[in-house]
Amino acid sequence: MSKLLKAFLFASFIAFPYTASADVTVASWGGAYTESQIKAYVDTYDAGTVKFENYNGGLGEIRAQVESGSVIWDVVDVLPDEAITGCDEGLFEDISAEYDNFTPAPDGTSMIDDMAASGVTNLSDCCAPQIFWTYVVFYDPDAFSGEKPSKIADFFDTTKFPGKRGVHTWANGFIQMALVADGVAPDAVYIVLKDQTGAVDRAFAKMDTIKDDIVHWSAGSKPLELVKSGEVVMSIAYNGRVGAANLSEGENFEYIWEGQLIEQEYICLVSGSPNRDEALAWMIHASSPESQALQAKYITYGPMRASGIDIIKAGEPWFHTGIDVMGHMPNTPELLKISVMGDPEWWSDNGAEIDERYGAWMGN
Amino acid sequence: MEVNISTADQILTTDGIPLKVSLRKTERRNKIRAFLLVFPLLLFIIVTFIVPIGDMLLRSVDDSQINEVYGKTFEEYKKWDKEKDQLPPEAVYRALFEDIGYGDKLKIGRAITRMNYSKSGWKSLIKKTRRQINKIVKSGELPTSYKDTLIEINKGWADPTFWYSMSQMLAETTPIYYWNAIDRTYDQDSKVIMQSEERRIYVATWIKTFKVSVYVTFYCLVLGFPVAHLLANLPLRYSNLLMIFVLLPFWTSLLVRTTAWIVMLQQNGVINGVLVWLGILSDDGRIQMVYNMTGTIIAMTQILLPFMILPLYSVMKVIPKSHMRAAQNLGAKPVRAFMRVYLPQTIPGMSAGGLLVFVLAIGYFITPELVGGKDGQLIGHWIAHHLKTTINWGLCSALGAILLGIMLVLYWLYNKIVGIDNIKLG
Repeated sequence: MSKLLKAFLFASFIAFPYTASADVTVASWGGAYTESQIKAYVDTYDAGTVKFENYNGGLGEIRAQVESGSVIWDVVDVLPDEAITGCDEGLFEDISAEYDNFTPAPDGTSMIDDMAASGVTNLSDCCAPQIFWTYVVFYDPDAFSGEKPSKIADFFDTTKFPGKRGVHTWANGFIQMALVADGVAPDAVYIVLKDQTGAVDRAFAKMDTIKDDIVHWSAGSKPLELVKSGEVVMSIAYNGRVGAANLSEGENFEYIWEGQLIEQEYICLVSGSPNRDEALAWMIHASSPESQALQAKYITYGPMRASGIDIIKAGEPWFHTGIDVMGHMPNTPELLKISVMGDPEWWSDNGAEIDERYGAWMGN
Repeated sequence: MEVNISTADQILTTDGIPLKVSLRKTERRNKIRAFLLVFPLLLFIIVTFIVPIGDMLLRSVDDSQINEVYGKTFEEYKKWDKEKDQLPPEAVYRALFEDIGYGDKLKIGRAITRMNYSKSGWKSLIKKTRRQINKIVKSGELPTSYKDTLIEINKGWADPTFWYSMSQMLAETTPIYYWNAIDRTYDQDSKVIMQSEERRIYVATWIKTFKVSVYVTFYCLVLGFPVAHLLANLPLRYSNLLMIFVLLPFWTSLLVRTTAWIVMLQQNGVINGVLVWLGILSDDGRIQMVYNMTGTIIAMTQILLPFMILPLYSVMKVIPKSHMRAAQNLGAKPVRAFMRVYLPQTIPGMSAGGLLVFVLAIGYFITPELVGGKDGQLIGHWIAHHLKTTINWGLCSALGAILLGIMLVLYWLYNKIVGIDNIKLG
């Protein structure tokens, strides 16, 4: 090996970390979701370079990075209860003072009010809004010859609609649906959970009624396979997966929107991020109504900012293949009325205990 | 003249140093050289193995973070003579007010994650209280009765169960996570009691994990033994071909094999389809073979089978064929010859394979998760759950440490019964 080449290799080895550190690194979930984020938030961004890394969710890795002082992710895409816990623990930096600098809606409404219009009032102080994703029940209409299920109660009614049901191996989403099926109004689900003793027991009692007819899944792609292969007649799934099957793979699945659990997805600034200012600038870009609406061109998760929905509606057919997308958006004003809006604060209080109880319930 | 050669120190090397010293020097140099050679490996093991395991063991008993935040409160709390359904005295409320009001925000934030493990609801209780206390501290008008003020801020402070759950956090070094890992917890007097009934999950999971591992090991042995025997005794050209069939799945991705089993076993899958087509099953009577215990055991057995076959094969390969012939020549029936002569010689292979399969099975995660459905949550699932979702690293470490303990006990038992010198991996 020539001396020059050696020197060059050595130099690039030394130089590599420095050139890399100028990029904003975002950790997200990978797959079609990250692809849509790159198209909507990175390809449209000129003020700097942003690269995405995949992770499997949870605060474990972030806590390890912050505790050891070697932060390599600047921004992380997290679930709402993790946004709250991470902010409390100081894993994420408090950026609430910057919220006024975030892009307002086209009519001038501030970001906070724009989110409140979608029903989100408990933004953690460390994060910026991304999308709504939901736990929703879907089915293949061809599997039912006569009447087709239309209400969440039908999911819990195996005499009227015989057949197995697909449900995930953790509790969130399922217990809220059980309460709606048991007669609780969707917007009262968390009020009941908070204020009525025995509300969780009530949900478990409702879940008991179909316990023997459940096939449990743990990977997000599974419910589609289960319904497609006829293993189950209906399943709970992430709405974006069903939307992708319908819009990109020519499937014809129907949703039961009633009782769906709307969950929020946030991007948060990691404490001690080496590129804090660049990361914040990108977060402002990625949480503007235009950017959020743009993401819906590639995946059917709903923009958390209400004005994003208006942009999509006005721009139909919005999906990148030239199809209307509003029928697959989980958070239209009409659907918000029949959906359960997740309360991450309650869940971060009670989720761990309920998950253990759910584990015991499944095993018995 | 007499030379005493029995004392080596009188013998000198050519440069005048006593032989003993010189030898010692060389020996030491050799030792250092040998040590330097293995040093990188030693360092690697320390950094990647000993330190993380030590850290895990420490974390499983460490509760110092919360004691740092609530030092004053816990001190007063310990003085409190608890009576059933009574609230603590004013001094405890006052200490709590001060700990929260003047404490570091992030430390309090980290502590509430831990408090919530003991009782759900701590998180929002402390957060809401902290907001109000900060206002009071800022205004400078400290309350006359801390107890009344706190209860006014949040009625949670009038709920004795919150106070009782505090008894789980008092010690800086605590066995509470180990108790949690076997469905136990502390009552208000720090006495060990059973976890509330609907939260009891770990004992059942430990038993299930153990059961699955035993079944998988047993089936691997039953299926692997004849295959290994065949491989060891066939002519080379056939046995090489068969060996490919053992190794090919071994080299295939775990996920691919797991998914393939789902395709085979599901209700509209290959096996059910064939059985219905043959008329053995009716179309409505398709068997549920996956997303339950059956599927878990089938898939895990197939995936772990090579770990049984390979050690068995390597042992059987070197057992001379003449042994069986000699036994039969001496009058033993084939069964007796097999039981008395062949089988005992395969014990090193069986035990090596058995130990390997069992140890791998007990920590299995992804296959049961995918094919197990409701039965697929073995102990590995809960370790991952507490690592990632609840970030309850104390419990996570305790579960891991127990798993490690079980392995060590097994290893010790194995050593007692079979002898570790008898293990043969290839």
